[in-house]
Amino acid sequence: MSKLLIVDDEIDIREFAKSFFKRRGIDVFTASGGKQALEIIFLEKPDLVLLDVRMEEITGVDVLRQLRKANQFVKVIMVSGIEDPEIINETKALGVVGFIHKPLVLEELEKIVMSEIKL
Amino acid sequence: MSSVKIDYKKELESASKGMILIHDPKLLIKLIVRSIVQKVQIDHAGMILYNPQKDSYVLAISHGQSGARIPEGFIRFDKKHPLIRLFVEKEYKYLVSNRNALVSEDINKMLWQESVISNGNGTKEILHQVSAQMPKLNAIACVPAYHQHKLLAILLLGQRHDGTRFEQEELDFFSALASDVAMAIQNAQLFDDLKREAERNRNLFIQTTIALGGAIEAKDAYTHGHTERVTKYALAVARQMEHTGVYNFPPKFFENLYIAGLLHDIGKIGIPEAILTKKDKLTLDEYEIMKTHTLRGAEILSPLTGFEECIAGVKYHHESYDGRGYPEGLKGEQIPMVAAIIAVADTYDAMTTDRSYRKGLSRDIAISEIQKFAGKQFNPKPVQALFELFQKGEL
Repeated sequence: MSKLLIVDDEIDIREFAKSFFKRRGIDVFTASGGKQALEIIFLEKPDLVLLDVRMEEITGVDVLRQLRKANQFVKVIMVSGIEDPEIINETKALGVVGFIHKPLVLEELEKIVMSEIKL
Repeated sequence: MSSVKIDYKKELESASKGMILIHDPKLLIKLIVRSIVQKVQIDHAGMILYNPQKDSYVLAISHGQSGARIPEGFIRFDKKHPLIRLFVEKEYKYLVSNRNALVSEDINKMLWQESVISNGNGTKEILHQVSAQMPKLNAIACVPAYHQHKLLAILLLGQRHDGTRFEQEELDFFSALASDVAMAIQNAQLFDDLKREAERNRNLFIQTTIALGGAIEAKDAYTHGHTERVTKYALAVARQMEHTGVYNFPPKFFENLYIAGLLHDIGKIGIPEAILTKKDKLTLDEYEIMKTHTLRGAEILSPLTGFEECIAGVKYHHESYDGRGYPEGLKGEQIPMVAAIIAVADTYDAMTTDRSYRKGLSRDIAISEIQKFAGKQFNPKPVQALFELFQKGEL
């Protein structure tokens, strides 16, 4: 089974996305912050990570930087409520496979997650 | 049948009352959605709202059990989304008109309607897509809300705890409730637009003021940059007074001081150029004419309502604390603070800038001169504030 990790500090988003992708036969993990996310990535080696940009303790961008520094090249899709070209450019340079803006179109999220996870 | 019979008419009335009392529609919708979940005993209710900035629809409110709830502001629906198309496009709207709602268990029946089978405009596909959408949104019924034929909101209703269906009476109630909500949103939108319009007008007014202030300078080349500097000094003095707490400024004081500063010499537009730009000392008659610029300025601005404080600043900026000034010979605290501050700022700028007949004084000399006249020509409070600014190196 493919593994997906959802990283977001909003519980409603974690729960909703979890049940949404579980129904599509994916093994879903969730993390409420950057530290927990890094642990799960090292332990579970998910196929794809949905990573929220704005989080309280460590930002999504910092999590991504730390991952790449540790030579972890897991596929990452950034999710953000703000359109900051600087963040978009930096995360692109760090090799994210997608960047989704909230509020998002559910079908677009589904499409990109399903296609990336099956590659 | 639901366990408790609800008096829908009464509920609707109390909701309508809420619409009048609560001006923030989002808060109101939150309350309504929450009370629907509790009273109708469903696992989830949500509201999709039209977002004019994004010209799309956003699932803005969701209430219910954990797991059934949908994160607020997370999902967007563009105009091509089947759910939106079904409620917006003419060829599909008739499908929901007889029940005021789209109920998932009806969709199967609809698919076998003669009109759906025979027409080739994709009704079947739309229905199939919507049918697949509704479980993702934890909804078994969707109630559209329109205002003047524009879709403004969709109320999502989840499964009832006891598994019973919605009765038509309930759907009618939800439809009426949703239209009330749409109306409240529309009103709030209008109110926001009005506020924005007022803000635009204000900006226009300030820009006009700046242009008008520039007109004085165009006539009197010696005062180049004078109005701008006076305004800057006056604001700095007022801020310092507020900082030390020596004076309790009324609301909008700073805005009025700003405008009054820019316009304090506007009356000079009515003074003959020969007097205004004369290099030699003015004769007594000429001086009397020059003095009229305060009253002329106040007259020019008098049609503006709500700007009494600005006008006072323009009119009285040559009054003297000891009562020897003009135009009215006001004394001490009779002189509005806005004018007393401009008087100090005006004098300070006049003393420190070069004129054709003399060089400007240094800042410390100008300030000690002004200090000598505190309590005589000037209100001591703004003089003290000016001195403090000088000491802090902020002049």
